[in-house]
Amino acid sequence: MTIRHALAGLIGLFAIGFGGAALAAPSCGANTGQAATGEPIVVGGIFSNGAPGDWSSATDSAAAYFACVNANGGIAGRPIEYLVEDDQWNPESAAAAAAKLVGDKKAVAMVGNGSFIEMAVNAKTYVDNGIMAMASACAISECFETPNLVSTNQGPLSSNLGAAQYAQEELGSKNVACIGLNIPNNGIWSCQAVIDYMKSKGGDGSMALLNPGAPDVNSALLEAVASGADTILMNLPAGLALAVLKAAQEQDLRDSYIWIAPTPLYDLSVPDAVGEYWHGKIFVNAELAPLSVGGPDAQNWISVLDAFGKADDPRDTFSQAGYLSARFFTEAMLTMDPAKLDDRAAVSDAIRAIKGYTSDLMCGPFYVGDADYHMPNHAGYMVKIVAGGFEIVRNCYEYDSSYFDKHKALEAELGLR
Amino acid sequence: MNKDLFRLTPSGLAGLVFAAFCFVVLPSVAGSYWLAILTSSACFTMAISGVAFMHARLGMVSLTQVGLMGVGGWVTLRLNYLWDFPFEVNLVIAALLTMICGWVLALPALRLRGLYLALVTLMAAGGLEILFATYQFPNGGEGFWGVKIGSTEPFRGSILATSPTAYLRYVIVAATLGFLLIEAHRRMFPGRAWALIRRSEAAAMAAGVNVTLYKTWAFGIAALLAGASGGLLAGSLGLLDDGTFRASESIMLFALAVVGGARFWLGAVIAAFLYRVLPAILNTWGVDSDLAYVIFGVGLLHALITAPDGIGGQIMALFRRKSQEQS
Amino acid sequence: MSKASVFNWLFLAALMAGSWLYLADGKPFKVTGLFLASGLAIGALYALGGIGMVVLYRASGVLNFSSGAAGAAGAMTSWQLVQWGIWPPIAWLACIAVALLLTLAYGALIAPKLAWRETVVKAVATLGFALIILGFVSFIWIDDPRSLELPTDKIGVSMMGLRITLTRLIAFAAAVGISAGIWVFLDRTNIGLQMRAVANSRDLSALLGIPIRRVETIAWGISGLLAGFTGLMFANLIRLEPVVITFMVIPSVAAALAGRLNSLFLVLVGGLCMGVIENLLTLSPLLKSVRPIAPFVIAAVVLLWHQRGARLIFEGRD
Repeated sequence: MTIRHALAGLIGLFAIGFGGAALAAPSCGANTGQAATGEPIVVGGIFSNGAPGDWSSATDSAAAYFACVNANGGIAGRPIEYLVEDDQWNPESAAAAAAKLVGDKKAVAMVGNGSFIEMAVNAKTYVDNGIMAMASACAISECFETPNLVSTNQGPLSSNLGAAQYAQEELGSKNVACIGLNIPNNGIWSCQAVIDYMKSKGGDGSMALLNPGAPDVNSALLEAVASGADTILMNLPAGLALAVLKAAQEQDLRDSYIWIAPTPLYDLSVPDAVGEYWHGKIFVNAELAPLSVGGPDAQNWISVLDAFGKADDPRDTFSQAGYLSARFFTEAMLTMDPAKLDDRAAVSDAIRAIKGYTSDLMCGPFYVGDADYHMPNHAGYMVKIVAGGFEIVRNCYEYDSSYFDKHKALEAELGLR
Repeated sequence: MNKDLFRLTPSGLAGLVFAAFCFVVLPSVAGSYWLAILTSSACFTMAISGVAFMHARLGMVSLTQVGLMGVGGWVTLRLNYLWDFPFEVNLVIAALLTMICGWVLALPALRLRGLYLALVTLMAAGGLEILFATYQFPNGGEGFWGVKIGSTEPFRGSILATSPTAYLRYVIVAATLGFLLIEAHRRMFPGRAWALIRRSEAAAMAAGVNVTLYKTWAFGIAALLAGASGGLLAGSLGLLDDGTFRASESIMLFALAVVGGARFWLGAVIAAFLYRVLPAILNTWGVDSDLAYVIFGVGLLHALITAPDGIGGQIMALFRRKSQEQS
Repeated sequence: MSKASVFNWLFLAALMAGSWLYLADGKPFKVTGLFLASGLAIGALYALGGIGMVVLYRASGVLNFSSGAAGAAGAMTSWQLVQWGIWPPIAWLACIAVALLLTLAYGALIAPKLAWRETVVKAVATLGFALIILGFVSFIWIDDPRSLELPTDKIGVSMMGLRITLTRLIAFAAAVGISAGIWVFLDRTNIGLQMRAVANSRDLSALLGIPIRRVETIAWGISGLLAGFTGLMFANLIRLEPVVITFMVIPSVAAALAGRLNSLFLVLVGGLCMGVIENLLTLSPLLKSVRPIAPFVIAAVVLLWHQRGARLIFEGRD
């Protein structure tokens, strides 16, 4: 078992390293091999790059995919002009970024957004302007609970639930302490869901909140320790989660707790960054297929990044999510009447009509639908951090929480269940 | 009432003309992006005018102005979700409550002066930063803090200004009223008391001026302007984030008020331009906006060492010289 | 030691002991000890930052807000050198050297231009320098999760059932050792005597023929060395992020204020007290979420307590 997975991981790594050479040329959009020449179609994207987290990986990979589409016939011969703005984790910049892309540049849709603040500020702007945003690294409740936002990633709530469910079912967790950011629509929202889940299973939970600007993570870790938990869930951006792990290592807390995390820790640089001390001890939920699964679409994602991305673009879950958003968007655009490609309302309708798109990166089918809430992706994998990579410990499983009842009803209505 | 109250000085005339220009021209030529940037600059102009006024008229250094903006923004948001009053009523209540906060802060702090006053206001800014980060800004929840888990409830903006263009005009009018408020005070009895205190506290006391009262009053006006500008910022975005109101931003705002020139209305405008518009310009040009810090720092050292009246002062002096040459 | 400073000393120590008794009561030492150890290390960093400020402030009247930025520049340089595969001890020394050079450069080139201005102007000017350094550092090293490892992180000492890393012990020992060392330096050496003279009255010292520039340069040097060392420790123990390290001067100012910008010993006790109380507050369900406010409240209380009963005094030296 272990050897097989290690081998699979090794092959996965090889695929990453030599993807450009070893794999077939990337397949994008109409896949004609002809560069698109017509008048560009403007698409926007907003990411957050400000302390303490960088969420640009999704817009980076969406940009790579669109570059590939433009080299392969574009949309009906027209290239996509993908404009990206940084909101710097500041609401004023986020509002200005959306004003620029939606108001001034007349983008027909937003793709690949990744932020902690942008969706809260701009959800209303998107509704007022009738534009759809296909986000990819969405971290707050507005991403999943407003009409014009849909994301290919799961966000902290689902990913936390996935991690907690695994810990409860397989690792014997009874009491989970969730270390999250003190933001009502992020940390509190997603930690509360875990506490509710644990209580519904006869266990218990608590949250230890960290102010995003507060420098010292150790006190939040100690708060989690003092809560009497047996499991610590690190619901944080990767940089902060690494700081928590470092503090825990200093105090040698590893063996006293079960360590779980949502998807931000699923990044190829993490196993080296946490060091040998933690190998085999941290369980991470992966919202999209781990690299070692290596299906055709996963390989295509890697070859798109190798051929059209930058060498230092991260190969993480958010990069996959950005790729998926861009791919699904392109496919929806290709179904449209070419005369209406600049008509924002028509593009929004085409996006809402997305139903049953599949990828081996995602456990379930992707859909948008015409609802006030969207969370198409609520099944994932569990992986364990091991030397040099990740080992899959549980394959695709759907998360078990009443939060998803309405989504399941919608899926049944759309004929996807 | 004295007749000096309504006397128009050349600088005042220029200010009113500039405000009128901003009111008429800017909103009609700016695209959506610049509307958003200019609106937040206009909000910060108002806050800067308060901190600059304290520095120029009384020599007091307040490093807590952005924290007080946060108080105003907090109250505006809280009232928005508490009652169905119009935005303007909430804004006025927020400004007045922030003024009271300013007084509360001022009374113990005013025993201190110079560096110690600056540091105690910095401690207050540090404290406010933590409070905002801990309790967050109201988003439509129950209870005193008004924070609920999950998504933000919709915000009721001003019915007088529903479009971004109209809202920019609205903020420009509010900021102009803020300047006029300061100017009116300066021309009435408090202004004379402040001038005396600035010259010598001993002399002011000997002349029967209640030094504590007038210093507190000045603190209150600065807080009032901060509160109103925080409320206006909340009105433009519909929500606020604690990251906007860090203590480091208060420090930056004071530094820029000095760079712009604390004695002149133009100084506050320049400071707000540097604070919000310059990073946006750098961003548009594809230059890393971190370099704006370098410009701020060089500007501050330049202002302190060689140009005590700041950029605004230099421009004003230029015009004065021109007009003298002509006459 | 004056009566007021004995009183402040007792006040801070009592505050620390009181909050320990109140908050840690009835909880196992294995848990509360972790908070104490963590708090002492953080408090030592506040104190180190504060001591650097006070030494310089006493000698030159400059409250140096740029020490955090200088430390951040040093820490980032150090990280970069390690990335390039340079032998780590050289990288750590580089951290201290960069902070020292930046601080000395300000002391030699800019500070003299403002030497006769009010203290508040001198303090605000250092902010300008801090912004310049911060701008360049954030421009060179874009936001990324980074960490600065020290070999002492891996070495732990077990005390009373707790594991404490050597780095935390070093931070604590350094704070105590450095404040004692500087105290001896000021008290026993000739330069120290001159420094105290300049601190008392710059004008009179100049008349007496004390080489003010030389005395000030030494003070800037001490401040720079401390900025570098504190920056390295912040980067390791807290976070390697330029903005965070730069603005850690704010709690350092709080520690300096606890010593009324004057007494090194009070700065040390004040800083430790702030760190410990901040961490212990985690145990209070009511106050745990506002725990980082502790340094500011303690500083404000000390400052206002010192001013109690003071009438409005007329403009003079600050």
